[in-house]
Amino acid sequence: MGHTKQETMPVIRDLRDFDRHSGNRLERLVFNYRPLFMLLMALATVVLGYMAATRLELRPSFEKMIPQSQPYIQNFLENRQSLRGLGNSVRVVVENTQGDIFDPAYLDVLKQVNDQLFVTEGVDRAWMKSLWSPAVRWTEVTEEGFQGGPVMPDTYQGKPEEIEQLRQNISRAGIVGSLVASDYKSSMLIVPLLDKATASGQRIDYHAFSQMLEEQLRDKIEFAGDSAARKAGEEGKGQYKVRVIGFAKLMGDLIDGLIQVMMFFGLAVVTSLIIIYAYTRCVRSTLLVVGCSLIAVVWQLGIVAWLGYAIDPYSVLVPFLIFAIGVSHAAQKMNGIMQDIARGTHRLIAARYTFRRLFIAGVTALLADAVGFAVLMLIDIPVIRDLAITASIGVAVLIFTSLLLMPVALSYVGVGAKAAERALKIDTRAEGHKGFGKLWDLLDRFTTAKWATGAVLVAMLMGIGGFMVSLQLKIGDLESGAPELRADSRYNRDNAYITSHYALSSDLFAVMIKTAPEGCLNYKTLVLADRLAWELQQYPGVQATASLVNAVRQITAGTYEGNPKLNSIQRNQDVLNYAAQQASVNSPELFNTDCSLMPVITFLKDHKAETLDAVVGIAEKFARENNSEDRQFLLAAGSAGIEAATNIVVREANRTMLLYVYAAVTLFCLITFRSWRATLVALLPLVLTSILCEALMVAMGIGVKVATLPVIALGVGIGVDYALYLLSVQLHYQRQGLPLSQAYRNAVSFTGRVVGLVGITLAAGVVCWVWSPIKFQADMGILLTFMFLWNMLGALILIPALSYFLLRERAPEPGAVAVAENTESTERPGMSHALTTSE
Amino acid sequence: MCSYKNYLQLALGVLLATLQGMSQASAYVDVLDLPARVSALAANSPLSGMARAGDRLVAVGQRGHILYSDDAGKHWQQAAVPVSADLNAVSFPSATQGWAVGGDGVVLHSSDAGATWRKQLDGREIGALLVKHYSALASAEPANEQWPLLVAEGERLVAQGADKPLLDVWFANERLGYVVGVFNLILRTEDGGQSWTPFQDRTDNPQGFHLNAIASTGDALYIAGEQGLLLKWDDTQQRFAAVQTPYQGSFFGVLGKPGEALVYGLRGNVLRSTDGGHSWTPLKNGLHVSITAGIVDAQGNYRLFTQGGQMLVSQGFGAQLHLVQQRAPTPVTGATQSADGALVVVGSRGARTLSVE
Repeated sequence: MGHTKQETMPVIRDLRDFDRHSGNRLERLVFNYRPLFMLLMALATVVLGYMAATRLELRPSFEKMIPQSQPYIQNFLENRQSLRGLGNSVRVVVENTQGDIFDPAYLDVLKQVNDQLFVTEGVDRAWMKSLWSPAVRWTEVTEEGFQGGPVMPDTYQGKPEEIEQLRQNISRAGIVGSLVASDYKSSMLIVPLLDKATASGQRIDYHAFSQMLEEQLRDKIEFAGDSAARKAGEEGKGQYKVRVIGFAKLMGDLIDGLIQVMMFFGLAVVTSLIIIYAYTRCVRSTLLVVGCSLIAVVWQLGIVAWLGYAIDPYSVLVPFLIFAIGVSHAAQKMNGIMQDIARGTHRLIAARYTFRRLFIAGVTALLADAVGFAVLMLIDIPVIRDLAITASIGVAVLIFTSLLLMPVALSYVGVGAKAAERALKIDTRAEGHKGFGKLWDLLDRFTTAKWATGAVLVAMLMGIGGFMVSLQLKIGDLESGAPELRADSRYNRDNAYITSHYALSSDLFAVMIKTAPEGCLNYKTLVLADRLAWELQQYPGVQATASLVNAVRQITAGTYEGNPKLNSIQRNQDVLNYAAQQASVNSPELFNTDCSLMPVITFLKDHKAETLDAVVGIAEKFARENNSEDRQFLLAAGSAGIEAATNIVVREANRTMLLYVYAAVTLFCLITFRSWRATLVALLPLVLTSILCEALMVAMGIGVKVATLPVIALGVGIGVDYALYLLSVQLHYQRQGLPLSQAYRNAVSFTGRVVGLVGITLAAGVVCWVWSPIKFQADMGILLTFMFLWNMLGALILIPALSYFLLRERAPEPGAVAVAENTESTERPGMSHALTTSE
Repeated sequence: MCSYKNYLQLALGVLLATLQGMSQASAYVDVLDLPARVSALAANSPLSGMARAGDRLVAVGQRGHILYSDDAGKHWQQAAVPVSADLNAVSFPSATQGWAVGGDGVVLHSSDAGATWRKQLDGREIGALLVKHYSALASAEPANEQWPLLVAEGERLVAQGADKPLLDVWFANERLGYVVGVFNLILRTEDGGQSWTPFQDRTDNPQGFHLNAIASTGDALYIAGEQGLLLKWDDTQQRFAAVQTPYQGSFFGVLGKPGEALVYGLRGNVLRSTDGGHSWTPLKNGLHVSITAGIVDAQGNYRLFTQGGQMLVSQGFGAQLHLVQQRAPTPVTGATQSADGALVVVGSRGARTLSVE
């Protein structure tokens, strides 16, 4: 049983007995100039820390969440300047919970809100609409022609007859369902935002804008100053409620959520402290491990800030992952050093020994992680690419912090004597089938026929069952409301209120009709737009459509004294020109300035993938059949249009990404193990986890979307670590001639604790995202936690069981033996050798 | 070799798909040539007019929709229609023969109680019709100055294409009927729509106002039009003669029974005459929205409907109108009472049945 002891390195108590010039060049460079190395590290930490502190921005960017080169998105981006109606606006609804809008007190409150918004920087005042806007007018056909005026009587003072006048004007203006709720209990303010705030020329700070809405409007009107209740997410108890939806508000809420998630980082740190302390029972080394990992995070954030990246709801997760990976690597180093120190080796020499044993192993494991991240670069969605880049930076940083800084720092501080003894004792006890030994004995049984068959059968059943369930996996978002936030968030409650009390949903899908200048007024263009709208309306998921055609029809009828029979598209160009000229006053969002682009806007009942697919299908078919030189029908704009494009990319990426990540991991395993059988043993548990993860998504109602795409790649990339640790050691012993059972037992007693530690620290790092107010982060948290833990279990149980079938008592392939022996004899610092000696 | 074959197949496939794509991008089809699309939504989409064909209700509306119902409006079936132009009005002088008119000067005919329709005329022909008819008259009566003017009018129509919507249709029987439209457009047939005679010269409408509606009161035939225009068929003069009214706004419809006529229009205006149109009295009703449809029901009461969805009802002779509040009112542009007494209306939200008190 001597094999479970550390590979023989001479115990050297005195530094003078140690050859400073032993070890490879990197080791000599780092350890022989320790003060300089530490100084450089400290300097880097200060500089990058300063960068992180001063330059790091929270910036959830709309553009970054969409697949930039998808044709629909390109169409949208090319024409977005012309799509004013789909532009950036906020809708504020003021509700009277004890009465209706025909209440002078309510109208006063509405005026306060109106005035506050009017003076807010970034608001495009000219186009703001509410009951108090003079631009909101009624018109009526009279014997003399059109007659009209502002809906709010000019002389309004709150007198009953003026309220009556308002009531009439609202009905004449036809704004019930758009500016006034169908139950008359609330009214809406439509607040378009400028791309850049006029005064400063800066882009609008969504967080500040959202904060203003909360503090200036909601606190005062809904909560009567009780901002604590507002922050708790309750609804106000006052007579009036302020409900806000719109992109700016959503972004503001996302930033709030981000800040909250960053608080979770503290939780992750505390959890890690507890786990590492439980593992080492040494305060010094616990602090060192966590400290080094924190330095990794500081570096990562500093470099990210330096390179001009910002923290968005996706990349905020990178620090968590880097921290967790850093902790697990540092903890391994710690363990090796402790054992050497416990045997009496000087702490500096122990650190150098550990460096020798583990540097290459650590780099290999980090490379495996990097594979998982790198594959994400293939997804054409900037947030995911940023996630891949920032995570790769983080992994690179870990090489410095966890693999270099950690042992050097340890060579200064050393470890507690008791803890060192304990580390040695745990392994000794395990050897004697006590303590962890009992667990290893249990796992060892999976190398026997009965247990292996059972385990493989159960795994197969789970795999098949999981696969059946995973067939129902949906693409895209499955719930209504803003998918970024939880269904019960204030934003989504507001959204639900507004969609149920106003006529139109917030899921807009727009087809852009592009023509030569003045072409949108062409009779044929209008007729085709009308036909397209009608085709789209046939699908039950479409609530309504809107386009210039609606306005033209209505205005034409208006010129015929409101005769409903003239609600039509006339062929006469003069009639159409007049209608468009009128439309440009009342609803300028329906076409662009030179009339070369008009959207046909579809209001969808939801943004589920089926709905989007159906609408895309209808629009694509229509475009194919009607595109001509004069006019092109371009998909797609609007929130649902962008989501449809994203779904298309995500569906494609989901397949290719799985293919690539498995191809990469397979290649990686083949290089490391030099055996296809071993590669299979390593991969099958990962495949099972991937299938079960998809089944879990079905069970939890999580669709494949931008946020869940990275999960399986990360799960597989990081999950393969476990197999690398276990299998390389097991193969090492098998190649030395030990039977499978003995080889696995050796492997698990060497690395079992590391596997467990890695699984638990990774899971601890991500599990707290489950409480994130940002829905997709919570989804990622659940799925990653599942992947990390289940991969760990899969590795510990299925590797021995599969080895029984694939690697049992079989003479290793000749080639592999040669390589393995070669590795041994030439001290090639291969993975297998290095890991053998990791504890 | 195998891969070459694959590439070849792929290239061929791409080529075929491209060709198909090109052939699919078919040329634009005019609304007058494109058959109406059958749609489950038709019964809830804008409908403009309605008539009874025996016990059957037939309604017409936007995009060439014609619907018929044999159960008093509970269920509707969509008829086969060869055009997808907006339709405005329908008239069934008998249980089987019917005519519908609409945008782009389209006239449709059905001889199976509204189930299938055939196009009899469209706006592309109306101009030529005018030119031919009035040129003949001009050469017959060179001294009459109005013929060249009407020929010129016809030439303008030819130049403008199918531009002029027809707004109403009325057939006295299976042979004699009129269609009316914007800018004094009026045609008459005496052979069930086989041939149409321009009738612009037979209206007292010097300013060429729109002719919004044509209807019979049983003892007289009226045309109601723009800016207070009201015309009444004068059998001796064989023309539609002007009737003076005290209102200068537009009328959207006319209805009545022997001895009484009601004309209604903009902003709640209703005028009543009991002396064959010599004198008219306004009927106050307090409404300011346009009245857009009306019927004489089985009891002989008038029911008028507004653009806001309100219903005005008269008791007995129509000297007084009472407002009847509707639950969830929707705009009404056409109304009919079915054989079993149900009140069915159509409008921008489609067809619906009103409860009759």
